[in-house]
Amino acid sequence: MTKGKRNLLIAVGVIVLVLLMFYSGIKGTYNSFVALDEGVKASWAQVENQLQRRYDLIPNLVETVKGFAAQEKEVFIGVTEARSKVGGAKSIPDKIAANNQLTGALSRLLVTVERYPDIKSNQNFIRLQDELAGTENRIAVERRRYNESVRGYNVRIRVFPANVLAGMFGFTKAEFFEVPESAQAAPEVKF
Amino acid sequence: MKTRIGTLLIAVMAACLIATCVYGRDDFPRPVGAVNDFAGVLSPRVARSMESLAREVLEKTRTSVVVVTLKEIGGDDPGDYANRLYEAWGIGVKGEDKGVLIFLAVQERRIRIETGYGVEGILPDGLVGDILDRNVIPYLKKGDYDSGLSSAMVAVSSVIAKDAGVSLTGAPQTRRQPASQQKKGSSLFSLIMLFIVMSLLLGTRQGRRMLPFILLMLLMGGRRGGGGFGGFGGGFGGFGGGMSGGGGAGRGF
Repeated sequence: MTKGKRNLLIAVGVIVLVLLMFYSGIKGTYNSFVALDEGVKASWAQVENQLQRRYDLIPNLVETVKGFAAQEKEVFIGVTEARSKVGGAKSIPDKIAANNQLTGALSRLLVTVERYPDIKSNQNFIRLQDELAGTENRIAVERRRYNESVRGYNVRIRVFPANVLAGMFGFTKAEFFEVPESAQAAPEVKF
Repeated sequence: MKTRIGTLLIAVMAACLIATCVYGRDDFPRPVGAVNDFAGVLSPRVARSMESLAREVLEKTRTSVVVVTLKEIGGDDPGDYANRLYEAWGIGVKGEDKGVLIFLAVQERRIRIETGYGVEGILPDGLVGDILDRNVIPYLKKGDYDSGLSSAMVAVSSVIAKDAGVSLTGAPQTRRQPASQQKKGSSLFSLIMLFIVMSLLLGTRQGRRMLPFILLMLLMGGRRGGGGFGGFGGGFGGFGGGMSGGGGAGRGF
């Protein structure tokens, strides 16, 4: 074997090796994007399950409360409107906004109930309220898990050098499920 | 040069070993069994009978019913705390998620029954709230933690047993359930690490020279972990990576 031939072989070997490393690097990074992206989608689906659960629970709750406090029309209208907005929301940011509004409307309803001791001791209402509180708690839990997976995904696609690859393949930042300050604070009630 | 790399390698491996020893995300206490009376409000007799009921339920229905009492939770939301504790302990088998956590914070005067994903269907929140109102709160209001917590456990267990179509006698038949997968994985990893580190430590000269230093590090690390290789769950095999989605109900008393 001549010296030139050997050098050529070494050069080809090195190039192949570099290409292989490059390929496996890209493959690993890309696959981690896919895995994290799927994780975000799966945890969003869990959030939606719980939002749907609350959506289904509301008519029952409203009917029960109406039986005792039919005159609180504004509150019922507020809840019903907010609920129909949730039903009409399509994109994730829209759904988040509509559900935050519904959270506010529901807490106004529950504050109103405070003024009716009869409802509060009603067995049916107590059960519904437990279901609602449990659902709100589930939403909070799934929201926390969703936000955690969004954070993991967003960090992954934004750090260098993965961000270059993420841009090439069109992986964009996922949306957090944030609760506005107004929804967390206790609602105001006019007497 | 060679010596230095060898030393570095050993130090890194020792650090990994320590990291696996003190493994634990939040600073939750470790479970000691099905009944974890960290606040010390239960009498030993009641705690024992609850423990054996929990084991029987686990054997017959693969559902873990776990009781935890804490003196205080430092201003955390009880629902959130119970959910994170549930996840950290992994109550129930992963994927099945059949588990119930009965959680009592003494100073906050709060009780919560947290249901895993797998039992939400048979223990809906309304029913859990009903159990609390009927069978638990009246006792707790009188300060009778023994009756309150044991009747919570009996009520929950009987719902689970009824759904599974088994009857409970109050005495478990066999002693142990197989240990959880989670524990197996981490202890196998630690063992392999231990083997590698030990062979390096004892097999090379610089390793032997570093031995006292590493032992010191291990001791310091171990203190924070509280028990190092100690058994997880005290023989109660109900911790297998189960999750809860935040279902259940809570009450103040």
